[in-house]
Amino acid sequence: MIGNEMAGTVIAEGLNIEGDLSSEEELVIHGNVKGKLTSSELVSVGSTGVVEADIVGATVSVAGHVTGDVTASERVDLQTGGRLIGDVKAARFTIADGASFKGNVDMEM
Amino acid sequence: MVRQTAEESVLGAGTEITGRVSGEGSLRLEGSLRGEIVMGGDAEIGAQGSLEGSLQAAAVDIAGSVIGDVHARGPIWIRSGALVRGELHADEITIEPGARVSVRLEGDLQLDLGLPKRR
Amino acid sequence: MSQTSIIGSSSIVRGHVRGEGNLEIHGRVEGDVTVNGDVTVGAGAVVLGNITATQLNIAGTVEGDLRGTEALLIEQGARVVGDLSSPRVGLAPGALVRGSVRTDDESPLAAPAPRRPGVTSASRSAAVAPPPLRAAAPIPKRKPVVTAVQPIAVENDVVAEVAPAPAPEPPKERRQAPPPVIPSLGKHAKAKKKRREA
Repeated sequence: MIGNEMAGTVIAEGLNIEGDLSSEEELVIHGNVKGKLTSSELVSVGSTGVVEADIVGATVSVAGHVTGDVTASERVDLQTGGRLIGDVKAARFTIADGASFKGNVDMEM
Repeated sequence: MVRQTAEESVLGAGTEITGRVSGEGSLRLEGSLRGEIVMGGDAEIGAQGSLEGSLQAAAVDIAGSVIGDVHARGPIWIRSGALVRGELHADEITIEPGARVSVRLEGDLQLDLGLPKRR
Repeated sequence: MSQTSIIGSSSIVRGHVRGEGNLEIHGRVEGDVTVNGDVTVGAGAVVLGNITATQLNIAGTVEGDLRGTEALLIEQGARVVGDLSSPRVGLAPGALVRGSVRTDDESPLAAPAPRRPGVTSASRSAAVAPPPLRAAAPIPKRKPVVTAVQPIAVENDVVAEVAPAPAPEPPKERRQAPPPVIPSLGKHAKAKKKRREA
């Protein structure tokens, strides 16, 4: 995964960021982020990811734990095993079976 | 013993000097010198060489021990077995892994830190 | 297996990065990086903050202190302003550094001052143990055996010869410096650099 531009930014399990992470490419989070996550592309929180932050992206996919508001210009997908506590603002929002969600949803874009 | 060719002076391994050594040519120090070196040409501190004091020269190559400031008009190259303490002034400085150093690199390097992208 | 994180070239982190695993930085980080793993700062990357890691490879721009508990390599094209510390340091030709470079750890370095006010961390992240300080290797001090020779005023391309003194001779005698025996260099002699292969 050396210099793999396609992959964008990957925060592996075991790594912690306290602060804001913003990008014009994909963000894939398997570690911990406390602060803010912003991308103009996909933000993906893997099953081991723990995010205490507002998330802004084109699409946001959550398979881990997110505490914070999620805003997506396209869609938000909460995967099986995923847990989201916060408000969601997106044109489309899916919650898979086995996921847990607590918050408000605004689908008017 | 000191030998000298047309271009380079050599202070051999058994030599010990206290004082100032200066000249237009280049110098290789294999012995020990406490004082200063001021050369118009290059200076090389050989693996057995030891300098306690300052050094001014064109290009500087250190394999031995230098305790003092080094001002080079050319590059400074510090070899892996060297021991160097002091301030280094040069446009280009190379340090090989394995060297033992406690040096201050002076220069007028200014960083271009760029502007964070704003969207 | 050690995981590798990547901060991509169009990503910006404003805050601290800590934890386990390796990290490749190709974008911009404004904050401290402290990992128990290897850190690479790529050629286009910019880090404003201190970096502490096991092995550091720097090819980009850093304003901050760099500490490699095992090794620290500054590559050609790198531009660093800050203090460098590691038992094994390499500075390649073409790397530009301003600051101190130390392979010893004589004066225990306090943890570098954080570059940004740290977020009060309630995180469960494992604290990275400060790297063990090595005892300073004693600097071999050679007792100069000086046969009280007058300070040599060497002028005009002349190098005086000094006879090596026998070891236990007390430096009491005052002798005139022996007359120079080396012929002086010609006026236009050019210094030729003899580089020995390492």
